[in-house]
Amino acid sequence: MTAAQFEVRVEANRRLSGGYFLLELAAAEATPVAAAVPGQFVMLRGEWGRELLNPRAFSILDAPDDRRFSILAKAYGEGTRRLKLVEPGDRLVTTGPLGVAFPRPAPGVRDLLVAGGVGLPPLHFYARMAHRAGLSGHVEMYYGGRNRDDLVLLDDLEAWNVAAHFATEDGSAGVRGYVTAALAPRLDLAAREGQAVRVLACGPTPMLAAVRRLVLERGVQAHLCLEENMACGFGVCLGCAVPVYGAKPYRYCCTDGPVFDAREVRWP
Amino acid sequence: MTEGIDITTSCGPIALRSPILAASGCFAYGQQFAAFTDLRALGGISTKGISPLPRHGNPLPRICETTGGMLNSIGLENVGVEAFLRDKLPFLRDLGVSVWVNFFGVDFETYVDCARSLGAGQGIDALEMNISCPNIKKGGIEFGTVPEVAHRLTRACVEVSRVPIIVKLSPNVSDIVAMADAVQKAGAAGVSLINTITGMAIDVRTRRPKIATRYGGLSGPAIKPIALRMVHQVARALPDLPICGMGGILSGEDALEFLMAGAHCVQVGTANFAEPGACVRITEELRGLLRALKIPSVRAAIGSLEAHAAEPEHLPQSPWSFG
Repeated sequence: MTAAQFEVRVEANRRLSGGYFLLELAAAEATPVAAAVPGQFVMLRGEWGRELLNPRAFSILDAPDDRRFSILAKAYGEGTRRLKLVEPGDRLVTTGPLGVAFPRPAPGVRDLLVAGGVGLPPLHFYARMAHRAGLSGHVEMYYGGRNRDDLVLLDDLEAWNVAAHFATEDGSAGVRGYVTAALAPRLDLAAREGQAVRVLACGPTPMLAAVRRLVLERGVQAHLCLEENMACGFGVCLGCAVPVYGAKPYRYCCTDGPVFDAREVRWP
Repeated sequence: MTEGIDITTSCGPIALRSPILAASGCFAYGQQFAAFTDLRALGGISTKGISPLPRHGNPLPRICETTGGMLNSIGLENVGVEAFLRDKLPFLRDLGVSVWVNFFGVDFETYVDCARSLGAGQGIDALEMNISCPNIKKGGIEFGTVPEVAHRLTRACVEVSRVPIIVKLSPNVSDIVAMADAVQKAGAAGVSLINTITGMAIDVRTRRPKIATRYGGLSGPAIKPIALRMVHQVARALPDLPICGMGGILSGEDALEFLMAGAHCVQVGTANFAEPGACVRITEELRGLLRALKIPSVRAAIGSLEAHAAEPEHLPQSPWSFG
């Protein structure tokens, strides 16, 4: 699928709890983002002038029809701070869809979707696609945040009948601790019962590193959706290198990823 | 509407259909852009810097954004001469635009080897010799900062190259004219001005530099005034030396500033990341601006900068009296 660069207008900027905002964006006509699958991303840039040059990368949260898609974000730096302030009608330039998605559901293997904070979108999208395909029972969500407010879009999971398990650092929802505290017992249970499971994870790098250790120690297959600084998103700037094992020491988050096999990633 | 404006130009012996080229390191080997833009509308493409052997690049983080620009320390990652000639050059050659192959070595001998081996490629219009990348540790620095060393290296590469050599100079020097003069006397067909300026950014929360190698090359509109100043200095001091100007060009007006300062053509770099169609848009903006300013051609714009009118000499009393 070929990516394109096109203009979108903001249809809605929904403020959620925990400082999250959900942008619903629409192009004037059909765009290739319509065919996006979970794990793929877009680059977004507003009318930011000369001060802030590069677009920002966002996982696609949903692509409900051939003109529309949405993203979920939190203000972190200058780019996301400006995006949080956009209003309906504002124009953004989009490049996408970009990147390699999570693998499709595999028969007989249960997918454990592991999300941490801003890493929710591709897994929420995965759960949505599973629901649309009548495979809600095939996935389980493990979702961690700082506190109850940091967990968003929970109603969707309930509506889709997706089993969800939560972890918060302050214990205000689910188990107290990081998402790995909820995930580890589940992996151990699968091992005891000889159940085939696969982990699909996205979140802050320290969380993904912890998930990676957990699955590698247990020999569980896992795919991690990574985040790196990127200027272009389509394989040119070479800024988003990911250290890997294999023929070459680096691959690229934008064109080889953002989804990588946990065994391939060369992290401490 | 903007037909009739002649945008052809040349950089020394290299004829160009348009003065807007894509800059090295910001356009890879061109293929990625084909989905987004009409590559045939470009004046030319300067490739990612090629070294004799493939290079894997630096640890991450490699880039960060700064006000009006970005820092990078990619580490000159590239596929190497052999794979470039085999896998990348045919695509570029078939576009029919001017193909400039940016190259570098890790020492004197590998620079000369690289200039020689690239000569085996068909369809290369120029070699752009990078003596200025801030992101290479070994040796390197003297090539771009000591005029005598740059002269020796340029001469050796010019002798073995089948195509003209444009030398891309470093702005990280105190006397840019001395560097330009040294490479011109060694046989360079022109100079590219400027490469990135070394810089740094710090994350106070982690107390770490924002890029792994601590310092990186600053590009983008933040460096445009410095680039223009250097282009102008060299153009004035060495009027016979063709200049390809670059540094933060985002618009047709930026490009025209460089032409007026004395550049014969320009390269667009950082702008390509956010907007893969940037070179084509800038070309159209330049056409429109030339027409609006009643400048008939790109050639007429080159070096057309005028000085401010001189002030009359100061006198203790006005020479004008009112009866």
